[in-house]
Amino acid sequence: MEKTVKLTIDGKEVQSPEGMNLMDAAELAGIHIPNLCYLKGMKGIGACRLCLIEIEGLKAPMIACNTKVREGMVVNTKTEKVQEIRKFIIDLILSMHPLDCMTCTKAGICNLQKYAYEFDLKESSFTRKKFGYPVDEANPFIKRDPDYCILCGRCVRVCKEQGTNVLEFMGRGIGSKIVTANDKPLQESECTFCGSCVDSCPVNALLEADRWRKGREWEYERINSVCLLCGNGCEITVSTKDGRVQKISSGAPAGSAEKYICAYGRFGFDCIEAETRLTSPMKKIDGELRGTTWEDALKIVADELKKAGKDAGFISAAGILNEDALTLKKLARDVVKTRNFDTTVSLYADSDSLKKSQRADIDRSDLIFLLGLNPSQWERVLPALDAAVRRRINRGAKLVVINSSETRIADVATVSLKGDEISNIKGIIKVAIEKGLKADKKLESSVKDIESTEEIEKASALFIEAKQPIIFSSPALFEAASNLSLLKGKKVIAIPLESNARGVVLMGLTTEGKTYREMLTDKMKALYVVGEVPLNKRPDTDFLIVQNSHLTGLAREADVVLPSATFLESAGTITDFMGRMKYLPEVIEPQGESKSHRDIFILLAKIMGSTIKRPTEAEVKKASNIKVKLSPVPFVKKEGLDISPQEMIESINASVINGSRLLWLKETEKTIAV
Amino acid sequence: MKVEEIDVDEQIGEVGQILSEAEKKKGILIHVLQKIQEDNGYLPGDVLSNLSKKLYFPLSEIYSVASFYKQFHFKPRGKKIVKICMGTACYVRGAKEILNTVEERFNVKAGETTEDLAVTLETVGCIGCCGLAPVATVNDEVKGEISSKKLDRLIKFIKEE
Ligand code: SF4
Ligand code: SF4
Ligand code: SF4
Ligand code: FES
Repeated sequence: MEKTVKLTIDGKEVQSPEGMNLMDAAELAGIHIPNLCYLKGMKGIGACRLCLIEIEGLKAPMIACNTKVREGMVVNTKTEKVQEIRKFIIDLILSMHPLDCMTCTKAGICNLQKYAYEFDLKESSFTRKKFGYPVDEANPFIKRDPDYCILCGRCVRVCKEQGTNVLEFMGRGIGSKIVTANDKPLQESECTFCGSCVDSCPVNALLEADRWRKGREWEYERINSVCLLCGNGCEITVSTKDGRVQKISSGAPAGSAEKYICAYGRFGFDCIEAETRLTSPMKKIDGELRGTTWEDALKIVADELKKAGKDAGFISAAGILNEDALTLKKLARDVVKTRNFDTTVSLYADSDSLKKSQRADIDRSDLIFLLGLNPSQWERVLPALDAAVRRRINRGAKLVVINSSETRIADVATVSLKGDEISNIKGIIKVAIEKGLKADKKLESSVKDIESTEEIEKASALFIEAKQPIIFSSPALFEAASNLSLLKGKKVIAIPLESNARGVVLMGLTTEGKTYREMLTDKMKALYVVGEVPLNKRPDTDFLIVQNSHLTGLAREADVVLPSATFLESAGTITDFMGRMKYLPEVIEPQGESKSHRDIFILLAKIMGSTIKRPTEAEVKKASNIKVKLSPVPFVKKEGLDISPQEMIESINASVINGSRLLWLKETEKTIAV
Repeated sequence: MKVEEIDVDEQIGEVGQILSEAEKKKGILIHVLQKIQEDNGYLPGDVLSNLSKKLYFPLSEIYSVASFYKQFHFKPRGKKIVKICMGTACYVRGAKEILNTVEERFNVKAGETTEDLAVTLETVGCIGCCGLAPVATVNDEVKGEISSKKLDRLIKFIKEE
């Protein structure tokens, strides 16, 4: 249990966890202390002085963002004195601000606007100053307009904490400006266009580039959902207006930097209305795809599936929802009566490692292991993991990277072990046992022949010392990772490449016949492909059905194409890599005639003379509810799971990239790389 | 100074014993920047890039630190560095006129360098010899009491090789 302290804020008795700052403690009690530079989740830096409060017994006001609660403290947040100081600060800031609220994109969520209103300041009482800085709008993602900047430094700190280090203060005093290294445009810096800085900016200095006259903030409906574009499954907040997505931000509440999303998650939504978006079913006539009705398309598919029977094959991406996966399995096994149903998970993970992964809170860990993983914000491979790890390191945790290939994240590791991963893990275990950690006899004897090195000793020492170590592992190395975790009974987690990999496995969508790869080569009588899979060429099959939201390279070679809803257009759940169930509402309606995967399966079953009931939440929960216990296992690196994560993630998102402004990023990177 | 060969422990000296690796790198930064500027006359972008890689220190932060101090320059500097004093005493005795004339003659604005890298023109606060106002310095050599006659001489002096 966390210790709590009692204090009084504005006459109210408040209980707060020990060590918390006054800003958060007041917020817990429903008291808002004005602030401009504070970001929940990060240490207060005291730059804006707006959060000054008075503490009884102390002469001078103190800053709430960086003063910790103490037992018996009596705090007043709205005394005449501090209100006057606050008004003065806002007055000063307004003297250098465009005062442009009538057309400003951030109006409604701008903190400066909010406080000007609160402190009754129609304009500044000082002489106005205009800087006339140039605007950086050379990229389609983020517009930087320094004339609006109030130099709160929030953007600098988020960008730094997540390890991208793009933005910084340049110069000093009133002439300071937030710039990239050597004041280059964003695309010539290390910027990944994650947009964390946009979410953190309290004013209009950083904003999404396409927002001009796309609706005022108060007209938006905000809906929480989950990004399904990679294995991280990040929480997002989608703002919609008139049934269209207007912007996507990280799922954290405003004024908090606790959650990260990458450029895919934030800007990929353009693809919903891309030219390649499928809005009606299609069938091939004389070698060409033509539009047709659902009735016709489903009839053809039903006939082909009936004909194929047990020689039909189903392959699916693992970015589909749990409910879709359950329905798909029923369609394949109970209606079509085939045992061949598998997902892309089999390209990079085994079911066991996904099922056995545990739940842990990275924000509490003091030591992180990355085993066989190469997350990178710049290459957009599990970028949220990369950001979370870097942030944790910046807050004092240590990192051990174990990878036989080069990784960029090793730059910030305390210890980086190159060479064979299994030997390195064995080495760490061996040293740890020698230094007194208890282990199972079998485990002890399986590591005894390993020679340890100075670096292995260092890693082992860190492991022994750590209170809350977390081991993140590639699925292929999960066994070795779990053996290590057993020494301390601490957390071990396999990281998949797709958002609902664990979910589809739990829902039982793992083959009982041919595997994913076998179905591509074994000439199936009918092959039914669901979602975006890393496949560009038609595999050898008599009949190809592609069910996807976009006309992919593969879909162009299909016999029938069925248009499905994107993840923002369909409701359901996923089970992320830590086993957390996450809910996705239908944020907007499906485009055109597209339908959710499960609706298509249900219709198809009906035409084939069977009824599949819509899966209920209870059914999903039941399928998810499995008990696993870790025990010592042989050290093996599993074969056949070595698809390149970067290629995999890029190809399952090909429609998203090609159908959105992300394409610009890819092309710009190419030209810069040349 | 070869950036690639920087030895952090040697640069930081004894105090390094009580500092973390990250603190040591931060600690030597200004010193290293001064050396780079001594060698090159300014802080070249590619050298700073290498420094960032060598120290695993964000490039943005290096620029940020350097830009805080007036002593660091990010562009090549002229052979003659001309500083015109704009302190109160010099100002009232016609510093502005001197500045305007020099700007005109060399076709350069205060804070800039001529294209041929001959002259860098700057203004300064006070150089501490108000008795000689108005004052200018050329490569740290003080020229005082600049009357209009002396102004021509000053310009000639700047032009000299
Ligand atoms: S978009 Fe992301 S990487 Fe780029 S400056 Fe903003 S926070 Fe930094
Ligand atoms: S750009 Fe925005 S977040 Fe960054 S310092 Fe300026 S006002 Fe603050
Ligand atoms: S890291 Fe993955 S899940 Fe998170 S926003 Fe990016 S693509 Fe989406
Ligand atoms: S919020 Fe405390 S000083 Fe800005």
